[in-house]
Amino acid sequence: MQSAYIPGTSLLHRLHPLTKLAGAALVITAIYLLPWPLAPLVLFGGLLGLAYLSGVAGPFLRTALRVLLPITISLFLIQGLLFPPPSATPLPLGPITLRREGLVFAFVTSTRLLAFTGTLLLLLETTHPADLVFALTQRGLPSSIGYILLVALQIVPNMTARATDVLEAQRSRGLETQGGVRRVRALVPLVGPLIVGALVDVEERAMALESRAYTAPGPKTSLRELVDTFSQRVARWLMLLGIAALIAWRIVMAL
Amino acid sequence: MNTTRRSGLNSTALALIPLAIAINIAVGQLVAVLKLPVYLDSIGTVLTGALLGPWIAMITGALSNIIWTLLGINPPAIWFAPVAAVIGIIAGFAGRAGVFQRASPRWLSAIIVGIFLFALALFVMSFVNSTTDAQGNLVIPNAADLLSQQPIVFIVAFVAGLALGYYVLQNAGYAGLVGLLNGVIAAIISAPIAAYVFGGVTGGGTDALVAAFRASGAGILASNLAQGTVSDPFDKMTSYMLVYLIIQALPRRVLQLFPNARATEQLRPASEPVTSH
Repeated sequence: MQSAYIPGTSLLHRLHPLTKLAGAALVITAIYLLPWPLAPLVLFGGLLGLAYLSGVAGPFLRTALRVLLPITISLFLIQGLLFPPPSATPLPLGPITLRREGLVFAFVTSTRLLAFTGTLLLLLETTHPADLVFALTQRGLPSSIGYILLVALQIVPNMTARATDVLEAQRSRGLETQGGVRRVRALVPLVGPLIVGALVDVEERAMALESRAYTAPGPKTSLRELVDTFSQRVARWLMLLGIAALIAWRIVMAL
Repeated sequence: MNTTRRSGLNSTALALIPLAIAINIAVGQLVAVLKLPVYLDSIGTVLTGALLGPWIAMITGALSNIIWTLLGINPPAIWFAPVAAVIGIIAGFAGRAGVFQRASPRWLSAIIVGIFLFALALFVMSFVNSTTDAQGNLVIPNAADLLSQQPIVFIVAFVAGLALGYYVLQNAGYAGLVGLLNGVIAAIISAPIAAYVFGGVTGGGTDALVAAFRASGAGILASNLAQGTVSDPFDKMTSYMLVYLIIQALPRRVLQLFPNARATEQLRPASEPVTSH
């Protein structure tokens, strides 16, 4: 199964998935609702500290940078330096003139995205996807949706490998993959075998599901067991209350 | 095998959806390797729509973006889940209407894309040439003025569209038309998300287009809408065309599994050979 999960035994790893999910929801709400421009950066600092304590700081930083560096550069160039709002305050810096509003917009947007990505990454790197999905199905997520998510995570690496195989096979037969708009039609021999192969799998997989009575009604047992404690249950309720309080506070402030 | 059940998710759907999600991701990565100017990250969603209808395709689209997040490849992708869901719904209704079964004559495909590119050129030109008056309101120039001032642009767009329709789309005119419209709708839904959450940029090649529209004085939301309506229709058109071509080439026995494809099966005369590609 391909996922962001990194096995470990830290406190964050051992928490119930729903506790972490509630925590992530609280942090994301705070990122977008707290009125101070530095808040997302401070929250990201806290997340980085947690990632370090959980032993996932390396991959955490690497993925966050890989995803967000291009976006941040584009943001500062396009919205910050080149085309700030017309009424912006000039901010001379040597030969070039920066605009305050443009830079503030780029800063707020990129730090919010950074903290948002960090929250999700920390959740996913310390939670096995199967645990997360199982916890959600226990709380009413349809088990079919859970099944789809887990199977998809499992077959993505297979499908990617199959796509590479098809590409190499067609290239060895002389398929042109370079040059011209018409090479878009070269996608047919590449995507075709991938899809036909998948559709042939569908029947087999459907029969496997039927033969295991997957679609039969009634309760099902699971091999997974999740540890939940009273204090975590209380913490979850408090975090949900915190989300509600944040939203109520912003509504009152806006009035 | 009769798997019709009380709920919409029978075992065929349960088996197909994860595969379709994996196809979305695998083809998206394949296209990145080939450096094609499209994303093609919704082929699986369109395929599910063609085979199993709008609601199952809606689930496929939304879950695809959740999987992008769960994989840790692109965590912010979850923001665009509503866009993917709408793409699925449209593809599903298009499938019910038999768009993926009907072949169009090549001249019709040419005219469809020609008219679309003409309209797109009109949209972009009126956008680029818009001015703000003394009160700060946006003044969109008269379409007739634009046509008479720069006729070359529109002639080039129309002719390019004719060529694109005739040589690339060929018999997939109906599917291509729905794909183009689907692209416009996707652009309209994704523009506010891109503008407010991502500040209007993606960090990819399309940012050059956003910069160009910003340079013409447009706001962030408007620039994103314009960028989306320029790049999304061709991406979706290609996805729909590929799904059309693949469904045409599928064996009957495989198509029999899927109710949406089965319902319109009669549209194809039994004697007609399957076109090879």
